[in-house]
Amino acid sequence: MTERTLDARWLEPPEPMELTLAAIDSLEPGEHLRLLIHRTPHMLFPILKEWGFNYRTHANDDGTHEILIWHKGQAAPGGDPGPS
Amino acid sequence: MSKPASLSLDQAPPITVPLRFFLTAPLFAITAALLLLWQGPDLFSSRWNPALLGATHLLTLGHMGLTMLGAIMQMLPVVASAPMRRPALAAALVHTLGTGGIVLLCTGLAFTLPLALKFALPILGSALLLFAALVVITLRRAMPHNMTARAMRLAALMLGATALLGLTLLSNHAFGWWLQSREALTNLHLTWGLLGWVGILVIGVSYQVVPMFLLTPPYPAKITRWLAALLFILLLALAPASHSPALRILLGSLLAAGFAVFALTTLRLQSQRRRKQPDVTLNFWRGGMISLLLAVALWLAARVIPALDMAQSYNPLLGVLMIVGFAMSVINGMLYKIVPFLVWFHLQSRRGPSGPKVPNVREILPESRARGQMWLHFAALGSLLAAIFLPASLTYPAALLFGASNLWLWLNVILASRTYRRINGLIIEASGHGAAAPQIMK
Repeated sequence: MTERTLDARWLEPPEPMELTLAAIDSLEPGEHLRLLIHRTPHMLFPILKEWGFNYRTHANDDGTHEILIWHKGQAAPGGDPGPS
Repeated sequence: MSKPASLSLDQAPPITVPLRFFLTAPLFAITAALLLLWQGPDLFSSRWNPALLGATHLLTLGHMGLTMLGAIMQMLPVVASAPMRRPALAAALVHTLGTGGIVLLCTGLAFTLPLALKFALPILGSALLLFAALVVITLRRAMPHNMTARAMRLAALMLGATALLGLTLLSNHAFGWWLQSREALTNLHLTWGLLGWVGILVIGVSYQVVPMFLLTPPYPAKITRWLAALLFILLLALAPASHSPALRILLGSLLAAGFAVFALTTLRLQSQRRRKQPDVTLNFWRGGMISLLLAVALWLAARVIPALDMAQSYNPLLGVLMIVGFAMSVINGMLYKIVPFLVWFHLQSRRGPSGPKVPNVREILPESRARGQMWLHFAALGSLLAAIFLPASLTYPAALLFGASNLWLWLNVILASRTYRRINGLIIEASGHGAAAPQIMK
């Protein structure tokens, strides 16, 4: 599965969400997005569900988060981040 | 899949819940400016001047109160980690009763109309007490370690207490019966209102919004854990201390120290923010914190120099610094983050993955418009402070600047809400037969 990475750390809200939604809008079948962000994006999760995406979050030791996002119906991407 | 705490879109309150408050609030500040224009240089002649009482409540209840009520309605489900029951109904009830009550109260106070005050008493009383109870009850479910929820609850208790004192004083105005210790009760009413309800609320909300929107480090745990509770206890202790001047000064000094710690910490955190770009909301916060520090310094100076306490300009200065300088600056600044964000979020969540393009937050409320209004706000603040010393020459320019600033704020909120309506129309159109409509206006 091809991975795209989006580094949205320390961007002012809602820029991380704006960039994430733009990125998943153009996500091809078989691709997934790895989002790097400085805090848990609580308000993003309901939109992901509504838009038909699955996600998995992982909290890093430095307080940042990694979130894997992929189309529902596709196999979950393997490897990190593991379930938090 | 992990499931962090988040609300589903159906549980988030509809955008009409906070917007109806935000769209009404600036109108009260504009009315206060008109009252100042009508009354002229005499407005600050005495703290008991009827027009000044009316103007003060137009700002504290009308502008600040309604905005804070709307923002809390929006934040409550998030802070409590649970949806509110029938948010649209609660908002309609509190907003309608509140707005009607404030109009009656301010008309009655400014023009000395006991009949208006008699009607204001039950209408405004029920709105404020209903809201305070709603917040205290809803936040029972909040996580115990959520310091914003804890502070918000304490602030709501202070709102309830301030409202009860206000209703007592109002009944005295409305029915003219003799009220013992009217001045002491008035002092307690305004102290609990400005420091308890407004002050503790701003402190609690800042724990969330300052790091989130201004990308600062978090507030130190010692402050988030203790400050709001400590201020609450000190404020409560002021009630039995009303007959002991020495104890009152001690409690007041501790309160002043608490608010100074908050203001200085906020300024320090903001200087350590990750991205050092100019930001309108940041400037509003800085202006608010500097005003708070000036108010603290003025209060402490008046304790040391009794002549200052007796000066005619002392109470108006303290009032303008706390109301226009501190509270209105912070509230105005936060509106520029909250309103575009809510419009963007609601549109984005409705449009679906392939719906019409949603403008970004800077397109929803252009920075240049917010910046222009900010300078007008600070010009109004400066001229209001100066007008206290030079009423004859500066009262009218100050009133005009203050009215213009709030008119501009109102137009900016209207612009954002119109963008919401326009794009929402496109989303409904694109979705076919208006399938999104019931969700949007629920």
